[in-house]
Amino acid sequence: MTEATLILVLVIGTALAFDFTNGFHDTGNAMATSIATGALRPKVAVALSAVLNLVGAFLSVEVALTVTNAVVKVQDKSGAPIPQLTDNHGYALLLIILAGLVGGVLWNLLTWLIGLPSSSSHALFGGIIGATIAGLGTSGVNWNGDGSKLDGVVGKVILPALVSPVIAGVVAAAGTWLIFRITARVAQRFTENGFRWGQIGSASLVSLAHGTNDAQKTMGVITLALIASGHWSDTGAVPFWVKLVCALAIALGTYLGGWRIIRTLGKGLVEISSPQGMAAESSSAAVILASSHLGFALSTTHVATGSILGSGVGRPGGQVRWGIAGRMVLAWLITLPAAGLVGALMWWLGDLFGGYAGPVVVFLALIALASYMYVRSQREPVHPGNVNDEWSGTPGSSVRSPVEKEAVA
Amino acid sequence: MTDNLHFAVEAAWKVLLVGLVLGAGLPAVFAVGVRSLAWGTGGAAEVAVDSRPQPIGRVLAGVCFLVVLAGIALGLTIILAAGQGKVVSFEHVYPTIVDKPK
Repeated sequence: MTEATLILVLVIGTALAFDFTNGFHDTGNAMATSIATGALRPKVAVALSAVLNLVGAFLSVEVALTVTNAVVKVQDKSGAPIPQLTDNHGYALLLIILAGLVGGVLWNLLTWLIGLPSSSSHALFGGIIGATIAGLGTSGVNWNGDGSKLDGVVGKVILPALVSPVIAGVVAAAGTWLIFRITARVAQRFTENGFRWGQIGSASLVSLAHGTNDAQKTMGVITLALIASGHWSDTGAVPFWVKLVCALAIALGTYLGGWRIIRTLGKGLVEISSPQGMAAESSSAAVILASSHLGFALSTTHVATGSILGSGVGRPGGQVRWGIAGRMVLAWLITLPAAGLVGALMWWLGDLFGGYAGPVVVFLALIALASYMYVRSQREPVHPGNVNDEWSGTPGSSVRSPVEKEAVA
Repeated sequence: MTDNLHFAVEAAWKVLLVGLVLGAGLPAVFAVGVRSLAWGTGGAAEVAVDSRPQPIGRVLAGVCFLVVLAGIALGLTIILAAGQGKVVSFEHVYPTIVDKPK
């Protein structure tokens, strides 16, 4: 096995691992509210979401080959890697991608461990930006695009992240307020039943949209790696097996269910009822679809969180735990630089050893840190059996902040 | 930077507008449906006791739920069209599927 083949295999493995974490990190975006209100039993909810993600991943024939172009300059417009990086079967480019993916996976696992929903696309982009800066310098990053459309780190990542949760929150608050006004004189038992159906329908739409958007990113990254190493040359299509394994990885991840994050979204942020759940998921679905229709790149996680917050604000007398919301916003702010830092460190590590050893050391570092976080998570496991328990702080945070204590009291 | 800010604001208010119409409007229609259904069912479904069932309420509820279903169908169409590299166009007011503009 040559160095290039070895690193290619590791890139594909890590990309699938990322896709898998992307799945379980985002189950909650669609299903947390349905699980919290009891509209769906936890296992049924994750199974439904997994199937819809699988279907969604296959629905897209549109190629997402230029996925990295939004933030870094390692590909040209057609999606082919730039020539300077393709020597030695693309070793240089593959090392950047590998380090970037490891940054994304590790950040996803860390935020999952502490039960915070953070954006998987930000983690991926952050990792790749960091690895690119380490490998090519800051000039390798597409900060602002060329000014002809929303592009670059600012246009595709930072601005949407600031704007989309606010939009989703406003929409969900308006929806919640209207629903409670309209159904004020209907018996609660009756409304809870009716809105469960609305909730399941809107949550399903979010899952489907998630599958079409997010699985594509990994497909694009793997195909880029195959092109760089000379195993694929068509920049207009993704190999079928890539599509298949990516769809399976994200669906499997979704089915596993990121229970820690589902719990935070469904129980931690807002004490949610069926009408609120439906308003939140409808807002998410509408904002995600309208954005992808208008080419406004956004993170499903930011939208879903904004919507759930909005549904708490819009309900007369509803309560929102702002302490948790603040921690989430903090996690969002540091996702990009933190994943970037890990990506950069991994690139340096890989570059230091070089040859066969470099990528292997990076991969071993990934396995070691991932195992450590898994073991830590088992100290305070969250599973379908306790996901809906009374809220008492995010997992892994034994000391609650005064703000949260106050909000709970 | 300023270009991006300009494009972002332009896209953001459209998303907000569509979001409010579909993301808040449709749930409101659904709520009217639930309200009507309760009115149509009467009895324990309403907060006010001894309210009589009104058949017209059920009809009204049916209309509301159909509007919501149409909205879901539109959402599905946008997802499916995007997957095939097409977009849903509203230039004729009613939605049509066209090729994605380059």
